Amino acid sequence: MREAMAPLGSMMLSSAADLGGRIIAIFARGVRTLQLGRRVLLPSALALALMFGWEFGTRAAHLSSMIIVPPSAVFAVLTASYGILLQQAVPTIVETLIGFALAAGIGIVLGTTLMLFRRVRQALYPHVLTFQLIPKIALAPLFIVWFGVGPTSRLSLAVFMAFFPVVIATIAGLLSADRSAVRMANAMMASSWQTFISIRVPYALPHIFAGLKIAVTMAMIGVIVGEFVTAQAGLGYIIMMASSGGDTALTFAAIILLCLFGLALYGAVALGEWLVERRMGVTVTSGEF
Amino acid sequence: MTSGSASQDKPIPEAAYALGLPLVLGVAVLVGWQLAVRLTGISPVIVPAPTDIVRSFGSIAGDLLHHGWATGSEALFAFILSVLFGVAAALLLGFSTLAFETFYPGLVVFQIIPKIALAPLFTFWLGIASTSRLSCAVFISFFPVTLATMTGLKRADVNALRLCQALGASRLQTFVSVQIPYALPYFFSGAKVAATMSIIGIVVGEFISANAGLGYYMLRAQSYGETAHLFAAILVLCCIGLFLYIIPVQAERWVRRWWWN
Amino acid sequence: MAGYILVDHVKKIYNSGKDAVEAVSGVSFVANKGEFIAILGPSGCGKSTLLMMCGGLEPTSAGTITIDGQQVTGPRANVGVMFQDSTLLPWKTVLENILFPVKIQRRPLAQYRERALQLIEMVGLHGFADMKPHQLSGGMRQRVAICRALVTDPDILLMDEPFSALDAMTRDEMNDALLDIWERYRKTGLFVTHSIREAVYLADRVLVMTRRPATIIADIKVPFSRPRDASINNHADFNDICDQLRRLIEHKRTAWSETKAA
Repeated sequence: MREAMAPLGSMMLSSAADLGGRIIAIFARGVRTLQLGRRVLLPSALALALMFGWEFGTRAAHLSSMIIVPPSAVFAVLTASYGILLQQAVPTIVETLIGFALAAGIGIVLGTTLMLFRRVRQALYPHVLTFQLIPKIALAPLFIVWFGVGPTSRLSLAVFMAFFPVVIATIAGLLSADRSAVRMANAMMASSWQTFISIRVPYALPHIFAGLKIAVTMAMIGVIVGEFVTAQAGLGYIIMMASSGGDTALTFAAIILLCLFGLALYGAVALGEWLVERRMGVTVTSGEF
Repeated sequence: MTSGSASQDKPIPEAAYALGLPLVLGVAVLVGWQLAVRLTGISPVIVPAPTDIVRSFGSIAGDLLHHGWATGSEALFAFILSVLFGVAAALLLGFSTLAFETFYPGLVVFQIIPKIALAPLFTFWLGIASTSRLSCAVFISFFPVTLATMTGLKRADVNALRLCQALGASRLQTFVSVQIPYALPYFFSGAKVAATMSIIGIVVGEFISANAGLGYYMLRAQSYGETAHLFAAILVLCCIGLFLYIIPVQAERWVRRWWWN
Repeated sequence: MAGYILVDHVKKIYNSGKDAVEAVSGVSFVANKGEFIAILGPSGCGKSTLLMMCGGLEPTSAGTITIDGQQVTGPRANVGVMFQDSTLLPWKTVLENILFPVKIQRRPLAQYRERALQLIEMVGLHGFADMKPHQLSGGMRQRVAICRALVTDPDILLMDEPFSALDAMTRDEMNDALLDIWERYRKTGLFVTHSIREAVYLADRVLVMTRRPATIIADIKVPFSRPRDASINNHADFNDICDQLRRLIEHKRTAWSETKAA
C-alpha cells in the first residue's frame, strides 16, 4: 500500500498545484480588472462568517457532539487520523480515476463509432438514450450480485454511470460540426479521415469536455455509493461507519477529503479543457459550469 | 452510407430504418438473452431469463406496488421541492447583484462536490424516516435548478436588455418582462437534471437505511439471491424515472406551445 | 445656438491611461425640430456611439447634449429608438410587442391600443396583429419595430442602421415606408447609416463623420422638398450630392491611410 501511495501522492500534489496555479491566475486577473473587491471579498466574507458561526455557534449552544461538531474538532481529527484517512482515500481515488478513464475511453470510442456508421447509430442510439434515463444507481445491487463486494462491482458501477454522458456528448459534438465547413472540406477533396480530424473533432471538443465533466461527477458518485452499499473500504465506507457510530468529527473529516478530491478531479478536467482551448486558440466552451 | 441499390424498385423509407433498427436490435437482444440463459443453464441467481423476470412480476406485484409507491412518491415530492427552492434561489440571485456575488462561488463549489457523500449524515441526523431521504434528495437536486435558471437569467438577449434600458424600464420590470422569459429553456434543462437527481437521492437513502422503498427492496432481493425480483424492481424504478423525467419535458413543450407560438 | 437637439463638443473616450481609445472627438451639431438628419460614415467610426449618447444610453466623456433645453443624463420617455436588430420579444404577439413601451412606462393600455392598431395598418401589416415574430420576415419585423418606436408618440426618433441587415429590395421598401411615416408624423430624427444613397434619399441634412476619432467634416443640406418619392433617385442633383459625399468620405479615407503609412 505504501509503495502505491508515493506516485499517487505526487499525482495529487501536482493536480493540487495545477488548481492552485489556476486560482492564482484568476486572482491576478481579478486584481487587474479591479473587480477583485466585490467578487472575491464578498464570498470570502460569507465563508469566513459561516466558519465563525459554525465554530462559536456549536460551542455556545453546547449541542451534542453527536449532532454537530465545530470546525476545530474536525481539523483535529484530520491531523490526528491523517494516516488512516489517506489510506482509505486510496481505493476511492484509484477506483474513481480508473472508472473515469475507462468510461471516457470506451465512451469516446463508442460515440465515434456510432457517429461514423449511420445504421449502427440508428440501431443503438435509441437504446443508449433509454439507458441514460434509467436511474443507473439502481443497478448497484445488481453489480454486487455479479461481481461480489470487491472493487470490481464498484468500478463497474462507476464506469456504467459515467460512460453514457460521454457517448451522448461525443455523438452530439461530432455531429455539431458546421455544415458549411464540412462542405468546404468536401470541395477541397479532403478525405473522410481529414474531414474528421480537422473539422469534426475540433467542433466536437467543447461538447466532449462538457460530457467529461459530467462523467467525472458520475464516476465519483458511482464509487461512493458503491462503497456505501458494499461497506468494505474507501472514504464512503468511513463516512457510513463514522456517522452510524456517532463520530461526527470523523464523518466531516472524511466528507471534506472526499469533496477536496472531487474538486481537484473536476478542476483537472477543466484544466485539460482550458489547455486544449489555448492550443486551439479559440474560446470554445459554453462558459457554464 | 446511402440506402438502396440501383436495382431496387422501391427504396426502403428512412423512417423504417429509424424505427425498425432499434426495435429489431432490442428484440434480438431479448431473444438472445433468453436462449443464452436456457442453453447454458446458468443459475437464475446470476442471470435470470427475461421470462423469469416477467413471471416474477406476477408473484411480487403487491411488493412492487408498495415499495414502488414509497420511492415514487418521495422522489416526486423531492423533485417538486427542489424545483421550488431552486427557482426561488435563482430569482434572488438573478435579481440582486449583491446576493449573486456573495453566493455564486459557493453554489458552484457545492454543485461540483459529490454531494451524495453526505447521504449517511442526513440519515444519521434525521433518522430512518422519509425526512432524511427527502432532505438528501432535495439537497442534491436543488443546485442544478438554481445554477441553470440563474445562467438563463444572466443570458437574456442583449438587444432586448438594451431596449429596456432605452425605454427607461426599472430593474424589476426588465427582470420580469425580459430576463425571466428568456431563462425558461435553461430552467427546464435544470429541472430535467433535478428529476434524475431526485430519484438518485431517494434510492441511495434507501440503500443506506430504510424499511421500504425500491432501494431497500433491491438490496434485500440481492441478499436473498432473488435476482429476477431485483430485475423487476429495476424495471419499476425505470418507469418511475421516466415518469419523473417526462414532467419537465412535457411542461416545456406545453409552455413553448402556449407562449411562444 | 438655438435648436431642438444641441450636441456641443461631445467626446467619447473608452478605457483610460495608455489603453484609451477616443471614439468620438469633439462633435458639435444642431438639429431643429422636425428635421430628419442622417449621420453618414464608414463602419465602426463611432456614429452609433454618438447616437447612444444622444439617447442617454451612454454617458459622454466630455461636452453636453441638450434636448429641448434639458441636458441629457439618461434615457427619456419622449425618445423612440430603433436598432439594427428588430429586437422583438419572441413570446409576444406583434400587437403586444408594439405596446411593450406603453406597459413599461405604465401608460394606460386602452388609450394606446387604438394607436397601435392604426400604426400596424399604416406600415402595411394589416391582419398581423396577433402573429408571433417568428412568423414574420425580417422586413416585417423592422416595420413592427417602427410601430413600437412610434407608439408612445415620441418627439425624437433615434435610428441606428435599422435597415442594414435587410436585403437590398426590402431595404428600398423600408426607405419608402419611412418616408411615408415621416409625412404623417413629423418627428425629429437622427438616422445612422453607411449607405450614401439611403442618407440622401431620406434626410433633410446629412452629417458626414470620419473614422475614429470621429468628427463631423460636412453638413450637407438635401434640397429635395417633401413629400418625396422614388423619382428623386433619377434627379441629377441627387447623384451630384451622392458624388459629393462620396468624395468627402474617400478624401478623408485616403488622407487617413496616408497619415497611417507615414
